[in-house]
Amino acid sequence: MIEPSTHLRDKYALVGAGHSRLGKVPGVSAQGLLEEAMLNALDDAGLTTQDVDGLICRGPDEIYTFHQVMGERLGIDASFSTTLTNGGASQVMGVALAAMAIDAGMASCVLVGYGRDNWSRVHANKENHMRGSGRPQQMYGMEFGPEFGYYGAIAAHGFGAQRHMHDYGTTREQFGAISVAFRNHALNNPDAVMKKPLTMGDYLGGRMIVEPFSLFDCSLQTDAAGAVVVTSAERAKDLRQKPVLIKGFGTGNNISGWFNGNNMTHTGAIQSGKTAYAMAGVGPEDIDYAQIYDCFTYMVLVQLEDYGFCKKGEGGEFVASGALALDGAMPTNTSGGQLSEAHVEGMLQVVEGVRQLQGIYGPERQVPKAEIGLVSGHGGNTVCESTLILGAA
Amino acid sequence: MSDDYAKAIPVPGPESLPFWEGAKNHQLMIQKCSDCEHHWFPPSTVCTGCGSRNIEWVASSGKGTVFSFVVFHRLYHKGWDGAIPYAVAVIELEEGARMLSNVIGVPVDEVKCDMPVEVIFEDATSDLSLPKFKPV
Ligand SMILES: [Zn+2]
Repeated sequence: MIEPSTHLRDKYALVGAGHSRLGKVPGVSAQGLLEEAMLNALDDAGLTTQDVDGLICRGPDEIYTFHQVMGERLGIDASFSTTLTNGGASQVMGVALAAMAIDAGMASCVLVGYGRDNWSRVHANKENHMRGSGRPQQMYGMEFGPEFGYYGAIAAHGFGAQRHMHDYGTTREQFGAISVAFRNHALNNPDAVMKKPLTMGDYLGGRMIVEPFSLFDCSLQTDAAGAVVVTSAERAKDLRQKPVLIKGFGTGNNISGWFNGNNMTHTGAIQSGKTAYAMAGVGPEDIDYAQIYDCFTYMVLVQLEDYGFCKKGEGGEFVASGALALDGAMPTNTSGGQLSEAHVEGMLQVVEGVRQLQGIYGPERQVPKAEIGLVSGHGGNTVCESTLILGAA
Repeated sequence: MSDDYAKAIPVPGPESLPFWEGAKNHQLMIQKCSDCEHHWFPPSTVCTGCGSRNIEWVASSGKGTVFSFVVFHRLYHKGWDGAIPYAVAVIELEEGARMLSNVIGVPVDEVKCDMPVEVIFEDATSDLSLPKFKPV
Protein backbone atom coordinates (compact mmCIF):
# COMPACT_ATOMS: atom_id res chain seq x y z
CA MET A 1 0.00 0.00 0.00
CA ILE A 2 1.49 3.32 -1.11
CA GLU A 3 1.13 6.15 1.39
CA PRO A 4 0.60 9.50 -0.38
CA SER A 5 3.70 11.67 -0.03
CA THR A 6 3.33 15.45 -0.01
CA HIS A 7 6.54 16.79 1.51
CA LEU A 8 8.18 17.32 -1.90
CA ARG A 9 5.26 19.37 -3.24
CA ASP A 10 6.42 22.78 -4.57
CA LYS A 11 9.86 22.32 -2.99
CA TYR A 12 11.83 21.89 -6.24
CA ALA A 13 11.64 23.77 -9.50
CA LEU A 14 12.46 23.62 -13.18
CA VAL A 15 14.51 26.73 -13.81
CA GLY A 16 15.57 26.30 -17.42
CA ALA A 17 14.53 24.38 -20.51
CA GLY A 18 16.01 24.01 -23.95
CA HIS A 19 16.29 21.90 -27.04
CA SER A 20 18.71 21.41 -29.88
CA ARG A 21 18.04 21.74 -33.59
CA LEU A 22 15.13 19.42 -34.43
CA GLY A 23 14.60 17.09 -37.34
CA LYS A 24 17.27 16.06 -39.82
CA VAL A 25 20.59 17.09 -38.30
CA PRO A 26 23.15 14.99 -40.16
CA GLY A 27 26.75 14.95 -38.98
CA VAL A 28 25.96 15.55 -35.30
CA SER A 29 25.94 12.73 -32.74
CA ALA A 30 23.24 12.22 -30.12
CA GLN A 31 25.83 13.42 -27.61
CA GLY A 32 26.49 16.58 -29.59
CA LEU A 33 22.78 17.30 -29.86
CA LEU A 34 22.33 16.72 -26.12
CA GLU A 35 25.16 19.17 -25.36
CA GLU A 36 23.41 21.73 -27.52
CA ALA A 37 20.13 21.22 -25.61
CA MET A 38 21.84 21.20 -22.19
CA LEU A 39 23.70 24.44 -22.88
CA ASN A 40 20.47 26.04 -24.10
CA ALA A 41 18.69 24.92 -20.91
CA LEU A 42 21.51 26.31 -18.74
CA ASP A 43 21.45 29.61 -20.69
CA ASP A 44 17.69 29.76 -20.12
CA ALA A 45 18.34 29.50 -16.37
CA GLY A 46 21.32 31.85 -16.36
CA LEU A 47 23.61 29.03 -15.22
CA THR A 48 26.68 27.26 -16.65
CA THR A 49 28.09 23.75 -16.55
CA GLN A 50 30.10 24.86 -13.51
CA ASP A 51 26.88 25.17 -11.49
CA VAL A 52 25.84 21.57 -12.19
CA ASP A 53 26.46 18.78 -9.66
CA GLY A 54 23.90 16.26 -10.88
CA LEU A 55 23.43 14.66 -14.29
CA ILE A 56 20.56 12.37 -15.26
CA CYS A 57 20.42 11.53 -18.91
CA ARG A 58 19.78 9.06 -21.63
CA GLY A 59 21.00 8.62 -25.17
CA PRO A 60 21.13 5.78 -27.67
CA ASP A 61 20.39 2.72 -25.55
CA GLU A 62 23.38 0.71 -26.70
CA ILE A 63 25.87 3.26 -25.31
CA TYR A 64 27.07 1.97 -21.94
CA THR A 65 26.71 4.37 -18.96
CA PHE A 66 25.71 7.30 -21.14
CA HIS A 67 25.91 9.81 -18.26
CA GLN A 68 29.66 9.13 -18.03
CA VAL A 69 30.04 9.88 -21.73
CA MET A 70 28.20 13.16 -21.24
CA GLY A 71 30.04 14.07 -18.01
CA GLU A 72 33.37 13.70 -19.76
CA ARG A 73 32.23 15.81 -22.70
CA LEU A 74 30.80 18.54 -20.44
CA GLY A 75 33.65 18.51 -17.88
CA ILE A 76 31.36 17.80 -14.96
CA ASP A 77 32.07 15.75 -11.85
CA ALA A 78 28.69 14.90 -10.36
CA SER A 79 27.72 14.10 -6.80
CA PHE A 80 24.78 12.26 -8.37
CA SER A 81 24.50 10.91 -11.89
CA THR A 82 22.92 8.03 -13.74
CA THR A 83 21.55 6.81 -17.05
CA LEU A 84 17.90 5.78 -17.15
CA THR A 85 16.51 2.83 -19.04
CA ASN A 86 12.72 3.14 -18.87
CA GLY A 87 12.51 3.98 -22.55
CA GLY A 88 10.22 6.92 -23.27
CA ALA A 89 9.19 7.08 -19.60
CA SER A 90 12.80 7.86 -18.62
CA GLN A 91 12.80 11.55 -19.40
CA VAL A 92 9.87 12.55 -17.18
CA MET A 93 11.16 10.17 -14.52
CA GLY A 94 14.55 11.90 -14.72
CA VAL A 95 12.97 15.12 -13.46
CA ALA A 96 11.32 13.24 -10.58
CA LEU A 97 14.61 11.54 -9.74
CA ALA A 98 16.40 14.91 -9.79
CA ALA A 99 13.99 16.28 -7.17
CA MET A 100 14.45 13.13 -5.08
CA ALA A 101 18.24 13.37 -5.31
CA ILE A 102 18.28 17.02 -4.25
CA ASP A 103 15.88 16.24 -1.41
CA ALA A 104 18.17 13.43 -0.25
CA GLY A 105 21.10 15.84 -0.09
CA MET A 106 22.87 14.15 -2.99
CA ALA A 107 22.94 17.09 -5.40
CA SER A 108 21.84 20.73 -5.62
CA CYS A 109 21.49 21.48 -9.33
CA VAL A 110 20.66 18.66 -11.71
CA LEU A 111 20.72 18.65 -15.51
CA VAL A 112 18.22 16.22 -17.04
CA GLY A 113 18.28 15.46 -20.73
CA TYR A 114 17.91 13.05 -23.61
CA GLY A 115 19.48 13.09 -27.03
CA ARG A 116 19.02 10.92 -30.09
CA ASP A 117 20.20 10.77 -33.70
CA ASN A 118 17.35 8.60 -34.85
CA TRP A 119 16.65 10.14 -38.24
CA SER A 120 20.31 9.84 -39.19
CA ARG A 121 20.52 6.24 -37.99
CA VAL A 122 17.35 5.10 -39.74
CA HIS A 123 18.58 6.68 -42.96
CA ALA A 124 22.18 5.48 -42.57
CA ASN A 125 21.68 2.22 -44.48
CA LYS A 126 19.06 0.12 -46.22
CA GLU A 127 18.82 -2.44 -43.43
CA ASN A 128 18.02 0.12 -40.71
CA HIS A 129 15.56 1.82 -43.04
CA MET A 130 13.70 -1.41 -43.70
CA ARG A 131 13.50 -2.17 -39.98
CA GLY A 132 12.47 1.44 -39.30
CA SER A 133 14.81 1.47 -36.34
CA GLY A 134 18.11 3.00 -35.32
CA ARG A 135 18.68 0.39 -32.63
CA PRO A 136 20.82 -2.68 -33.32
CA GLN A 137 18.65 -5.75 -33.96
CA GLN A 138 20.41 -7.55 -31.07
CA MET A 139 18.69 -5.19 -28.61
CA TYR A 140 15.35 -6.75 -29.46
CA GLY A 141 14.19 -10.21 -28.41
CA MET A 142 15.50 -13.07 -30.54
CA GLU A 143 12.46 -15.32 -29.98
CA PHE A 144 8.69 -14.92 -29.58
CA GLY A 145 8.68 -12.01 -32.04
CA PRO A 146 10.75 -11.82 -35.20
CA GLU A 147 9.91 -15.36 -36.32
CA PHE A 148 6.27 -14.25 -36.56
CA GLY A 149 7.15 -11.11 -38.50
CA TYR A 150 6.57 -8.97 -35.41
CA TYR A 151 8.70 -5.86 -35.75
CA GLY A 152 8.70 -2.38 -34.32
CA ALA A 153 7.00 -0.49 -31.51
CA ILE A 154 4.14 0.20 -33.93
CA ALA A 155 2.84 -3.36 -33.69
CA ALA A 156 2.86 -3.49 -29.88
CA HIS A 157 0.96 -0.21 -29.66
CA GLY A 158 -1.31 -1.37 -32.47
CA PHE A 159 -2.45 -4.32 -30.33
CA GLY A 160 -3.62 -1.85 -27.70
CA ALA A 161 -5.40 0.31 -30.26
CA GLN A 162 -7.13 -2.71 -31.80
CA ARG A 163 -8.33 -4.01 -28.43
CA HIS A 164 -9.56 -0.54 -27.43
CA MET A 165 -11.49 -0.30 -30.72
CA HIS A 166 -13.01 -3.71 -30.00
CA ASP A 167 -13.92 -3.00 -26.36
CA TYR A 168 -15.13 0.60 -26.68
CA GLY A 169 -15.99 1.20 -30.33
CA THR A 170 -13.10 3.62 -30.83
CA THR A 171 -12.57 4.54 -34.50
CA ARG A 172 -9.72 5.49 -36.81
CA GLU A 173 -11.38 8.89 -37.35
CA GLN A 174 -11.00 9.47 -33.61
CA PHE A 175 -7.28 8.63 -33.81
CA GLY A 176 -7.17 11.04 -36.74
CA ALA A 177 -8.59 13.86 -34.61
CA ILE A 178 -5.42 13.59 -32.49
CA SER A 179 -3.09 13.84 -35.50
CA VAL A 180 -5.00 16.81 -36.89
CA ALA A 181 -5.08 18.64 -33.53
CA PHE A 182 -1.34 18.25 -32.98
CA ARG A 183 -0.55 19.34 -36.53
CA ASN A 184 -2.57 22.50 -35.91
CA HIS A 185 -0.43 23.17 -32.82
CA ALA A 186 2.76 22.54 -34.80
CA LEU A 187 1.80 25.18 -37.34
CA ASN A 188 2.16 27.74 -34.51
CA ASN A 189 5.60 26.40 -33.52
CA PRO A 190 8.38 27.73 -35.75
CA ASP A 191 10.73 24.95 -34.56
CA ALA A 192 8.33 22.11 -35.46
CA VAL A 193 9.45 19.75 -38.19
CA MET A 194 6.01 19.47 -39.83
CA LYS A 195 5.02 22.68 -41.59
CA LYS A 196 2.02 21.72 -43.73
CA PRO A 197 -1.62 21.56 -42.54
CA LEU A 198 -3.12 18.09 -42.10
CA THR A 199 -6.82 17.45 -42.76
CA MET A 200 -8.95 14.47 -41.74
CA GLY A 201 -8.99 13.56 -45.43
CA ASP A 202 -5.18 13.53 -45.49
CA TYR A 203 -5.17 11.37 -42.36
CA LEU A 204 -7.64 8.82 -43.74
CA GLY A 205 -5.74 8.73 -47.05
CA GLY A 206 -2.42 8.00 -45.33
CA ARG A 207 -0.82 4.72 -46.34
CA MET A 208 -1.42 1.85 -43.96
CA ILE A 209 1.73 0.76 -42.11
CA VAL A 210 0.67 -1.70 -39.42
CA GLU A 211 -3.11 -1.71 -39.18
CA PRO A 212 -4.86 -0.08 -37.37
CA PHE A 213 -2.06 2.53 -37.72
CA SER A 214 -1.36 4.44 -40.88
CA LEU A 215 1.42 6.92 -41.60
CA PHE A 216 -0.19 9.78 -39.64
CA ASP A 217 -0.69 7.71 -36.48
CA CYS A 218 3.09 7.45 -36.14
CA SER A 219 5.51 9.86 -34.50
CA LEU A 220 8.44 11.33 -36.42
CA GLN A 221 11.98 10.04 -36.86
CA THR A 222 14.09 12.79 -35.37
CA ASP A 223 17.63 13.90 -34.65
CA ALA A 224 17.21 16.11 -31.58
CA ALA A 225 17.68 16.57 -27.87
CA GLY A 226 16.01 18.34 -24.99
CA ALA A 227 17.12 19.24 -21.48
CA VAL A 228 15.92 20.93 -18.30
CA VAL A 229 17.56 22.17 -15.09
CA VAL A 230 16.20 21.23 -11.65
CA THR A 231 17.10 22.96 -8.40
CA SER A 232 15.39 24.06 -5.18
CA ALA A 233 12.42 26.41 -5.34
CA GLU A 234 14.35 28.64 -2.92
CA ARG A 235 17.36 28.99 -5.22
CA ALA A 236 15.06 29.35 -8.22
CA LYS A 237 13.92 32.75 -6.98
CA ASP A 238 17.35 34.25 -7.86
CA LEU A 239 17.57 32.78 -11.37
CA ARG A 240 16.74 34.23 -14.76
CA GLN A 241 13.36 32.65 -15.53
CA LYS A 242 10.10 32.58 -13.68
CA PRO A 243 10.45 29.24 -11.82
CA VAL A 244 8.17 26.33 -12.61
CA LEU A 245 7.36 24.32 -9.50
CA ILE A 246 7.32 20.54 -9.36
CA LYS A 247 4.04 19.92 -7.56
CA GLY A 248 3.96 16.17 -7.88
CA PHE A 249 5.21 13.17 -9.76
CA GLY A 250 4.53 9.49 -10.08
CA THR A 251 5.40 6.35 -11.96
CA GLY A 252 3.44 3.24 -12.86
CA ASN A 253 5.14 0.38 -14.62
CA ASN A 254 3.01 -2.54 -15.77
CA ILE A 255 6.11 -4.65 -16.22
CA SER A 256 4.20 -7.91 -15.95
CA GLY A 257 3.78 -7.13 -19.63
CA TRP A 258 1.71 -5.42 -22.26
CA PHE A 259 0.02 -8.73 -23.06
CA ASN A 260 -0.96 -9.32 -19.43
CA GLY A 261 -4.44 -8.68 -18.01
CA ASN A 262 -5.98 -5.50 -19.40
CA ASN A 263 -2.69 -3.58 -19.53
CA MET A 264 -3.22 -2.70 -23.20
CA THR A 265 -6.30 -0.61 -22.40
CA HIS A 266 -5.60 0.34 -18.76
CA THR A 267 -2.04 1.64 -18.77
CA GLY A 268 0.59 2.52 -16.19
CA ALA A 269 -0.80 6.07 -16.36
CA ILE A 270 -3.56 5.03 -13.94
CA GLN A 271 -1.10 4.35 -11.11
CA SER A 272 1.35 7.03 -12.19
CA GLY A 273 -1.37 9.68 -12.26
CA LYS A 274 -2.80 8.61 -8.93
CA THR A 275 0.59 9.00 -7.23
CA ALA A 276 1.30 12.32 -8.91
CA TYR A 277 -2.14 13.81 -8.17
CA ALA A 278 -1.85 12.79 -4.51
CA MET A 279 1.57 14.39 -4.16
CA ALA A 280 0.41 17.58 -5.90
CA GLY A 281 -2.89 17.75 -4.01
CA VAL A 282 -4.81 18.25 -7.25
CA GLY A 283 -7.07 16.21 -9.54
CA PRO A 284 -7.67 16.06 -13.27
CA GLU A 285 -10.21 18.90 -12.99
CA ASP A 286 -7.38 21.23 -11.86
CA ILE A 287 -5.13 20.60 -14.89
CA ASP A 288 -5.01 23.45 -17.44
CA TYR A 289 -3.01 21.67 -20.15
CA ALA A 290 -1.39 18.31 -20.83
CA GLN A 291 1.78 17.30 -22.66
CA ILE A 292 1.14 13.63 -23.38
CA TYR A 293 3.64 11.12 -24.75
CA ASP A 294 2.48 10.53 -28.32
CA CYS A 295 4.53 7.80 -29.95
CA PHE A 296 1.29 6.72 -31.66
CA THR A 297 -2.14 8.37 -31.65
CA TYR A 298 -3.76 5.66 -29.56
CA MET A 299 -1.40 6.27 -26.63
CA VAL A 300 -2.70 9.83 -26.34
CA LEU A 301 -6.29 8.66 -26.25
CA VAL A 302 -5.75 5.98 -23.63
CA GLN A 303 -3.56 8.17 -21.42
CA LEU A 304 -6.18 10.95 -21.46
CA GLU A 305 -8.64 8.37 -20.13
CA ASP A 306 -6.18 6.98 -17.59
CA TYR A 307 -5.36 10.45 -16.23
CA GLY A 308 -9.08 11.01 -15.70
CA PHE A 309 -9.68 13.77 -18.27
CA CYS A 310 -12.59 11.67 -19.53
CA LYS A 311 -14.12 8.32 -18.59
CA LYS A 312 -12.61 4.97 -19.60
CA GLY A 313 -13.80 4.15 -23.10
CA GLU A 314 -14.80 7.73 -23.92
CA GLY A 315 -11.38 8.90 -25.11
CA GLY A 316 -12.47 8.69 -28.74
CA GLU A 317 -15.42 11.04 -28.28
CA PHE A 318 -13.29 13.30 -26.10
CA VAL A 319 -10.55 13.85 -28.68
CA ALA A 320 -13.09 14.19 -31.52
CA SER A 321 -14.89 16.96 -29.60
CA GLY A 322 -12.02 19.38 -30.17
CA ALA A 323 -10.76 18.96 -26.59
CA LEU A 324 -7.07 19.05 -27.59
CA ALA A 325 -7.13 22.54 -29.16
CA LEU A 326 -5.75 25.58 -27.35
CA ASP A 327 -9.31 26.64 -26.44
CA GLY A 328 -10.52 23.05 -25.89
CA ALA A 329 -11.35 21.18 -22.71
CA MET A 330 -7.74 19.93 -22.36
CA PRO A 331 -5.18 21.72 -24.55
CA THR A 332 -2.73 18.94 -25.35
CA ASN A 333 0.72 18.82 -26.94
CA THR A 334 0.77 22.54 -27.62
CA SER A 335 4.12 22.32 -29.44
CA GLY A 336 2.81 19.74 -31.93
CA GLY A 337 4.07 16.76 -29.97
CA GLN A 338 6.06 13.84 -31.28
CA LEU A 339 3.57 13.43 -34.12
CA SER A 340 4.30 16.88 -35.58
CA GLU A 341 7.04 18.78 -33.70
CA ALA A 342 9.82 16.23 -33.16
CA HIS A 343 10.18 12.89 -31.38
CA VAL A 344 12.57 13.13 -28.44
CA GLU A 345 10.93 10.42 -26.31
CA GLY A 346 9.07 12.75 -23.97
CA MET A 347 11.86 15.25 -23.36
CA LEU A 348 10.24 17.93 -25.51
CA GLN A 349 6.98 17.33 -23.64
CA VAL A 350 8.85 18.37 -20.47
CA VAL A 351 10.36 21.39 -22.23
CA GLU A 352 6.95 22.53 -23.53
CA GLY A 353 5.35 21.87 -20.13
CA VAL A 354 7.90 24.20 -18.55
CA ARG A 355 7.62 26.92 -21.21
CA GLN A 356 3.84 27.12 -20.92
CA LEU A 357 4.30 28.09 -17.25
CA GLN A 358 7.21 30.42 -17.97
CA GLY A 359 4.53 32.22 -19.98
CA ILE A 360 6.86 33.01 -22.87
CA TYR A 361 4.49 32.48 -25.79
CA GLY A 362 2.17 34.74 -27.73
CA PRO A 363 -1.57 34.08 -27.78
CA GLU A 364 -1.32 31.68 -30.76
CA ARG A 365 0.51 29.14 -28.57
CA GLN A 366 0.01 30.16 -24.93
CA VAL A 367 -2.63 28.25 -22.97
CA PRO A 368 -4.75 31.04 -21.45
CA LYS A 369 -4.35 31.40 -17.67
CA ALA A 370 -2.19 28.28 -17.40
CA GLU A 371 -1.35 27.54 -13.78
CA ILE A 372 -1.09 23.76 -13.55
CA GLY A 373 0.05 21.36 -16.25
CA LEU A 374 0.53 17.61 -16.56
CA VAL A 375 3.40 16.00 -18.47
CA SER A 376 3.50 12.30 -19.26
CA GLY A 377 6.23 9.94 -20.36
CA HIS A 378 5.54 6.46 -21.68
CA GLY A 379 7.74 3.73 -23.03
CA GLY A 380 9.97 0.80 -22.27
CA ASN A 381 8.17 -1.60 -24.61
CA THR A 382 4.88 0.16 -23.88
CA VAL A 383 4.50 -0.56 -20.15
CA CYS A 384 6.37 2.17 -18.24
CA GLU A 385 4.74 5.48 -17.39
CA SER A 386 5.96 8.58 -15.56
CA THR A 387 4.01 11.71 -14.69
CA LEU A 388 4.90 15.24 -13.67
CA ILE A 389 2.51 17.87 -12.39
CA LEU A 390 3.92 21.35 -12.76
CA GLY A 391 2.68 24.59 -11.27
CA ALA A 392 3.31 28.30 -11.70
CA ALA A 393 5.29 29.83 -8.85
CA MET B 1 9.78 -27.75 -45.58
CA SER B 2 12.74 -25.79 -46.88
CA ASP B 3 16.23 -24.97 -45.70
CA ASP B 4 16.45 -21.77 -47.71
CA TYR B 5 14.02 -20.32 -45.17
CA ALA B 6 14.32 -16.52 -45.33
CA LYS B 7 12.38 -15.43 -42.23
CA ALA B 8 14.04 -14.91 -38.83
CA ILE B 9 15.06 -18.07 -37.01
CA PRO B 10 14.32 -17.83 -33.28
CA VAL B 11 17.25 -18.12 -30.89
CA PRO B 12 15.89 -20.01 -27.87
CA GLY B 13 16.94 -18.98 -24.39
CA PRO B 14 17.84 -21.75 -21.90
CA GLU B 15 14.41 -21.55 -20.24
CA SER B 16 12.46 -21.81 -23.49
CA LEU B 17 14.02 -24.96 -24.96
CA PRO B 18 11.06 -27.17 -23.89
CA PHE B 19 8.75 -24.88 -25.85
CA TRP B 20 10.76 -25.23 -29.06
CA GLU B 21 11.35 -28.97 -28.59
CA GLY B 22 7.59 -29.38 -28.08
CA ALA B 23 6.86 -27.38 -31.23
CA LYS B 24 9.04 -29.77 -33.26
CA ASN B 25 6.71 -32.55 -32.07
CA HIS B 26 3.69 -30.38 -32.83
CA GLN B 27 2.89 -29.91 -29.17
CA LEU B 28 2.21 -26.45 -27.75
CA MET B 29 4.10 -26.43 -24.46
CA ILE B 30 3.36 -23.84 -21.77
CA GLN B 31 4.12 -23.67 -18.07
CA LYS B 32 1.75 -24.53 -15.24
CA CYS B 33 1.94 -24.01 -11.50
CA SER B 34 1.51 -27.21 -9.50
CA ASP B 35 0.27 -25.18 -6.52
CA CYS B 36 -2.26 -22.75 -7.99
CA GLU B 37 -2.98 -24.17 -11.50
CA HIS B 38 -2.00 -20.88 -13.15
CA HIS B 39 -0.67 -21.20 -16.73
CA TRP B 40 1.66 -18.68 -18.33
CA PHE B 41 3.94 -17.81 -21.21
CA PRO B 42 6.70 -16.76 -22.02
CA PRO B 43 8.78 -19.13 -19.87
CA SER B 44 10.28 -18.33 -16.49
CA THR B 45 11.38 -20.27 -13.42
CA VAL B 46 8.61 -19.06 -11.11
CA CYS B 47 4.82 -19.03 -11.22
CA THR B 48 3.74 -15.59 -12.42
CA GLY B 49 0.42 -16.05 -10.60
CA CYS B 50 1.55 -16.93 -7.06
CA GLY B 51 5.33 -16.92 -6.93
CA SER B 52 5.69 -20.68 -6.42
CA ARG B 53 8.80 -22.52 -7.62
CA ASN B 54 6.73 -25.69 -7.95
CA ILE B 55 6.14 -25.53 -11.69
CA GLU B 56 5.95 -27.85 -14.71
CA TRP B 57 5.67 -27.86 -18.48
CA VAL B 58 2.34 -29.08 -19.90
CA ALA B 59 0.84 -29.37 -23.37
CA SER B 60 -1.84 -26.78 -24.12
CA SER B 61 -5.03 -27.88 -25.89
CA GLY B 62 -4.00 -25.39 -28.57
CA LYS B 63 -7.46 -23.82 -28.49
CA GLY B 64 -7.96 -20.15 -27.74
CA THR B 65 -9.09 -16.78 -29.01
CA VAL B 66 -7.51 -13.76 -30.66
CA PHE B 67 -6.99 -11.27 -27.83
CA SER B 68 -5.72 -8.60 -30.20
CA PHE B 69 -4.02 -8.39 -33.58
CA VAL B 70 -2.36 -6.11 -36.09
CA VAL B 71 -1.95 -6.39 -39.86
CA PHE B 72 1.45 -5.65 -41.37
CA HIS B 73 1.19 -3.72 -44.64
CA ARG B 74 4.82 -2.59 -44.62
CA LEU B 75 7.83 -4.85 -45.13
CA TYR B 76 10.20 -4.87 -42.13
CA HIS B 77 12.18 -8.03 -43.03
CA LYS B 78 12.97 -9.44 -46.46
CA GLY B 79 11.73 -12.89 -45.40
CA TRP B 80 8.17 -11.54 -45.50
CA ASP B 81 8.43 -10.22 -49.05
CA GLY B 82 5.33 -11.52 -50.85
CA ALA B 83 3.55 -12.37 -47.60
CA ILE B 84 2.09 -8.89 -47.03
CA PRO B 85 -0.49 -8.22 -45.67
CA TYR B 86 -0.15 -10.67 -42.77
CA ALA B 87 -1.73 -10.78 -39.32
CA VAL B 88 0.27 -10.90 -36.09
CA ALA B 89 -1.83 -11.65 -33.03
CA VAL B 90 -1.79 -12.06 -29.28
CA ILE B 91 -3.51 -15.41 -28.74
CA GLU B 92 -5.22 -16.14 -25.44
CA LEU B 93 -5.11 -19.91 -24.92
CA GLU B 94 -8.02 -21.51 -23.11
CA GLU B 95 -5.67 -22.31 -20.20
CA GLY B 96 -5.22 -18.53 -19.77
CA ALA B 97 -1.68 -18.00 -21.08
CA ARG B 98 -1.17 -15.49 -23.91
CA MET B 99 1.37 -15.77 -26.71
CA LEU B 100 2.40 -14.00 -29.89
CA SER B 101 1.78 -15.75 -33.19
CA ASN B 102 0.24 -15.36 -36.64
CA VAL B 103 -3.38 -15.93 -37.63
CA ILE B 104 -3.35 -17.82 -40.93
CA GLY B 105 -5.85 -19.52 -43.22
CA VAL B 106 -8.20 -16.53 -43.34
CA PRO B 107 -8.10 -13.17 -45.17
CA VAL B 108 -6.60 -10.54 -42.86
CA ASP B 109 -9.75 -8.41 -43.01
CA GLU B 110 -11.71 -11.26 -41.44
CA VAL B 111 -9.51 -11.48 -38.33
CA LYS B 112 -11.34 -10.14 -35.27
CA CYS B 113 -10.69 -9.80 -31.54
CA ASP B 114 -12.14 -12.70 -29.51
CA MET B 115 -12.35 -14.90 -32.63
CA PRO B 116 -11.93 -18.62 -31.73
CA VAL B 117 -8.73 -20.16 -33.11
CA GLU B 118 -6.67 -23.31 -32.76
CA VAL B 119 -3.01 -24.10 -33.21
CA ILE B 120 -1.57 -25.42 -36.44
CA PHE B 121 2.15 -26.16 -36.70
CA GLU B 122 4.11 -24.83 -39.64
CA ASP B 123 7.29 -26.80 -40.38
CA ALA B 124 9.59 -23.95 -41.32
CA THR B 125 12.90 -25.85 -41.60
CA SER B 126 14.02 -29.38 -40.79
CA ASP B 127 14.81 -28.10 -37.30
CA LEU B 128 12.06 -25.54 -36.65
CA SER B 129 8.28 -25.72 -36.34
CA LEU B 130 6.25 -22.63 -35.53
CA PRO B 131 2.89 -22.71 -33.75
CA LYS B 132 0.45 -20.59 -35.74
CA PHE B 133 -3.31 -20.24 -35.34
CA LYS B 134 -6.26 -20.67 -37.69
CA PRO B 135 -9.94 -19.95 -37.15
CA VAL B 136 -11.94 -22.86 -35.74
ZN1 LIG C 1 1.06 -20.46 -8.79
